[in-house]
Amino acid sequence: MDSKLLKKEKLLPLLDELRKEFLLVAPVEEDALLFYRPVESVAEIKLGSGRSVVPPKEWFFPQAESLYRYSTEGGGLVLEETLAATPAVLFGIHPCDLRSFAVLDAVFLQEPVDRYYTLRREKTVIIGISCTAVCPECFCSAYGISPVEGTGADVHLSEVGAVYMVEVLTPKGKELVARYQEFFEDQVAGVAEAKEARKETLSGQFTVRVTVDGLPAKLGSLFDHPYWEELSRRCLGCGICTYVCPTCHCFDITDVCRGFEGKRFRCWDACLFRDYTLHTSGHNPRHALYQRLRNRFFHKLKYNHDRYAIEGCVGCGRCVALCPVNIDIREVIATVRGLGE
Amino acid sequence: MNPLLPKPATIVDIIRETGDVKTFRVVLDDPEEMAAWTHKPGQTAMLSVFGVGEAMFCLASSPTCRDWLEFSIRRAGKVTSALHELEPEAKIGVRGPYGNHFPYENMQGKNLLVIGGGIGLAPLRPLVNFMLAPENRQHYGNIEVIYGARSYGDLCYKEEVFRVWPQAPGVSVFTTIDAPEEGWSGHVGFVPAYVEELKPSPENKFVVICGPPVMIRFTLKALGELGFEEKQIYTTLEMRMKCGIGKCGRCNVGARFVCRDGPVFNLAELKELPPEY
Ligand SMILES: Cc1cc2nc3c(=O)[nH]c(=O)nc-3n(C[C@H](O)[C@H](O)[C@H](O)COP(=O)(O)OP(=O)(O)OC[C@H]3O[C@@H](n4cnc5c(N)ncnc54)[C@H](O)[C@@H]3O)c2cc1C
Ligand code: SF4
Ligand code: SF4
Ligand code: FES
Repeated sequence: MDSKLLKKEKLLPLLDELRKEFLLVAPVEEDALLFYRPVESVAEIKLGSGRSVVPPKEWFFPQAESLYRYSTEGGGLVLEETLAATPAVLFGIHPCDLRSFAVLDAVFLQEPVDRYYTLRREKTVIIGISCTAVCPECFCSAYGISPVEGTGADVHLSEVGAVYMVEVLTPKGKELVARYQEFFEDQVAGVAEAKEARKETLSGQFTVRVTVDGLPAKLGSLFDHPYWEELSRRCLGCGICTYVCPTCHCFDITDVCRGFEGKRFRCWDACLFRDYTLHTSGHNPRHALYQRLRNRFFHKLKYNHDRYAIEGCVGCGRCVALCPVNIDIREVIATVRGLGE
Repeated sequence: MNPLLPKPATIVDIIRETGDVKTFRVVLDDPEEMAAWTHKPGQTAMLSVFGVGEAMFCLASSPTCRDWLEFSIRRAGKVTSALHELEPEAKIGVRGPYGNHFPYENMQGKNLLVIGGGIGLAPLRPLVNFMLAPENRQHYGNIEVIYGARSYGDLCYKEEVFRVWPQAPGVSVFTTIDAPEEGWSGHVGFVPAYVEELKPSPENKFVVICGPPVMIRFTLKALGELGFEEKQIYTTLEMRMKCGIGKCGRCNVGARFVCRDGPVFNLAELKELPPEY
């Protein structure tokens, strides 16, 4: 792995250069909430930002996207794919969200690959960024994620004093750094050590220690436990926890049609909704809210692991921070670990 | 290749099976794609009515039929009603085939017991017709079909059930309807009771069963009493589906996606899954 330095004052000029070549997607503030959006000017970028409200997965897997257009004019049928992917740089992705891309890859890149996701994924260079503070709700370390590690990024930046330590992690990243080499300087002694020290400090800041060892197997024996019904009593079934989750990948497919012209598109969906599994006959395999809430936790903490051998939660803490009734996955994990013992 | 993009296709023929079930014969518009189409008994496909939506159906035709694909569709909601409104020549979209299939390879050298209720015969029919195809017949033993519906009018595939299959060597067909009816001289009663009466032997046999949930539940009980083992018995599951390829999430039962790991499961496999189907 290659390592470089980027002086802090050179970051925006670099991003500005990148913006000329690529679509630059970066953290921006809208009504005091943080999102990842394509930017027209680097002045829009919120530097030093923490966790976004909506995870950056929406760059690869938008909330709503057109799949194809169709025309049935004159009794015929013409289908036209609406695949669009511009070469892009996705800037400022934190370690938990970097891991979430690996979780989504397991789903969308599995054969037959999802063309929409894959195309954007291929055409995007990811610049990761280390966390400078630990959010009160996050617990990424439970999943072996370090707030200063860039696994999953092409190029990863860690703020160390007046510079960013730049780790070049993939061939894509190498190409980018080579192309804009005038912005980078050679690594100097002490920077890597300073980054390591930052890791130590941050590790001490997690407010809640979470252990997930043996959780998938443990859950297997707790499917029928009354705990799920009890937990669901305060759940609103609002689905916020799924909309803000960086690893949720469920979607619905629907039509919009006017006359002979129409579009088929997909949009995010959530297993917390009653309609999600409702059969046409009226039969619903998960008719009760507790069954749906249980499915969400089982998916995050067991099913994803069992199916893809990668944990379905990255410990970003978004659902903890945004659930209107304080259902806290860290508490769920701790409770489940203690049940039946 | 974009797996979510349907292939344009044309309905070439529509056969009315029952009051609310029609079988649609469909040909892919691109002759090369039609020639390249292959599916296995038990697999499914997503049909599109543009402007309305998509819905999942099992392929009701045998893989050995190369001229068209068949889907038997019960009028239920939006897409199925829209399909029922269509006439021959209408354009639809097809994507697939999806899912696993009945283990016809392992069924070689064995006898087969087919148990169907109503439109539940649709996913089982391609397996029977596949086994009866001249090139395959020698690999399979006897085939018994126990098929029931509410009334005579609710039995699908009458031509095959009453004429083609019974005339084929090594095939016995037992039909039943729920209640007596004028002009019906056959068996009257529910499928599970008929199975108890017929007492099929579990010897060297696979069972495939599909139909209304109550029928399945009571028939399985009867089969258990007759000595059938869970690994001998295969059925197909239905869940609401959108993508068909394990991405949209909604058809999960535990860690399995019915659209790609199913729809065919044997009872031993089903026992391993949470009862959420
Ligand atoms: C593997 C598999 C194989 C199948 N094989 C066959 C087959 O061979 N033949 C066959 O006839 N069927 C088959 N089915 C069933 C078939 O897919 C359904 O009947 C079909 O999807 C119904 O679609 P629809 O558009 O007609 O109903 P929809 O109109 O989509 O209705 C679906 C149901 O969803 C609910 N719903 C939809 N939208 C809303 C809303 N906005 N608000 C509230 N509720 C809503 C309603 O309860 C409605 O009844 C199969 C299903 C599966 C999964
Ligand atoms: S389940 Fe909650 S903590 Fe885990 S990845 Fe999703 S939003 Fe983050
Ligand atoms: S955000 Fe909270 S209340 Fe809403 S569905 Fe999720 S757990 Fe339930
Ligand atoms: S239908 Fe989408 S995952 Fe099965």
